Amino acid sequence: MLAGYRGFGENPTREVGFAPLPGPPGGGQDLPMTLEPAQRTGDASGHRPADPPDRAERIPEPAGEQRRRQGREQWLRRRRLERQLHDGAALRISALSLQLGLFRHRVPADEAVLQESIDGLQDELHAVLQELRDVAGKIYPPLLDEAGLGPALRELADRADVPVHVTTTASRFGAAAEGAAYFAVGELLAVLAPGSGPVAVVVDAADGVLVLSLTGVDTRHAEVVDYQVRPLGGTVDVAAGGGTGTITARIPCE
Amino acid sequence: MRVALAEDGALFREGLLMLLRAAGHEVVACAAGGDELVALLANQSADVAILDIRMPPEPDGGLVTAERLRAAHPAMGLLFLSHYAESHYLMRILQIGTEAIGYRLKEKVGSVDVLTDTLSRIDAGEIVIEPVLAKRLVERPRGDKKDVVAALSERELDVLRLMAEGRSNNGIAGQLFVTPKAVEKHIASIFGKLGLHADTAEHHRRVLAVLTYLRSQRDGE
Repeated sequence: MLAGYRGFGENPTREVGFAPLPGPPGGGQDLPMTLEPAQRTGDASGHRPADPPDRAERIPEPAGEQRRRQGREQWLRRRRLERQLHDGAALRISALSLQLGLFRHRVPADEAVLQESIDGLQDELHAVLQELRDVAGKIYPPLLDEAGLGPALRELADRADVPVHVTTTASRFGAAAEGAAYFAVGELLAVLAPGSGPVAVVVDAADGVLVLSLTGVDTRHAEVVDYQVRPLGGTVDVAAGGGTGTITARIPCE
Repeated sequence: MRVALAEDGALFREGLLMLLRAAGHEVVACAAGGDELVALLANQSADVAILDIRMPPEPDGGLVTAERLRAAHPAMGLLFLSHYAESHYLMRILQIGTEAIGYRLKEKVGSVDVLTDTLSRIDAGEIVIEPVLAKRLVERPRGDKKDVVAALSERELDVLRLMAEGRSNNGIAGQLFVTPKAVEKHIASIFGKLGLHADTAEHHRRVLAVLTYLRSQRDGE
């Protein structure tokens, strides 16, 4: 288990039913889709008829590019939420902590009980801020937003139970690809058996594609990586060599 | 103390302004962004400038502003405030300067005592590092440093943590209720175990040696 890292129970960018791994090298083409013909259920007047359930209208599954766009938008929304937490709630609570400090300063020196109460309130506010930071980190790590994959992945590596070595380029890849790569690494490190490793994480750029390779890992966990990168139209390749091997993910960037 | 302040969040800026005044400090310049603060300090100086890291000019205006201030006013102390205590930013800050510089969480300077202690240490030339971050660095050193740090005694770990906060020998002695002489002995023992040979008498060199040791990977990244 990865101390300090708690994965998402749900991946908001997940699509329904991706193909199981391991796939053929270069796999991960668009999934075959069955686009069901939409059935009209309402009438022109807009009245909702008392239809039996089998006549309900199903929205057609979005086509490849539209799905990828939705996948990207989910990451942008996550980043916006993190910024909103930082600029909104967190800043207000920090300011409140200052106001309490001012209040504490104005309390006469002989009012020990009151002073201790204010100290206690301030400690509570600090705990609230820490919880907000934890939540923000799970939505979209601010360090990833501000400094990119290199610093963010190194921070993740520092918290891992297994030894992890990170090599990255200074290139930026956009919020979606970076988010998917970051959480793919985080989720993978979280499922590795304790005592395994060392793991080498390498991030590279190639023709508008983020290439993430993870070496020294149990390749049966490739699905964890696939889960993150496929909604963005990414692919995952596996090269195994006796238990551990290399998982390589390619994520298209905007 | 004469203090300058740049922070784009109005609520926090006003709160800090009032707390600084209540603590008896004179606020000589107060701005919502880095460029504005540099302009306000063109014809006057301050003992310490307090800078929000994440402010205009985006994305991390506090760092850019600090470089300009350090060039224009080399003697002015710099205190960075942030909502996050990240070792990534600590290393960037130490690239700007290793004397009279500090990095603290915004909410942690919310008392007159802590604020004044932080400003005074920076004004005296010390490095001040958020204790939460110093603790994390000592508890989770990188790579092959883990085993070495794990071999330190509990008291030595206390001293290492306070060194990573940037505290002087006297500061460490005061925190641990021991004599400066005892602190010196602990530090000599720690440096021996870590294999560091930095001049322990030079305060900021010693802090740097400790932080670099805790942060470096085997290949020196």
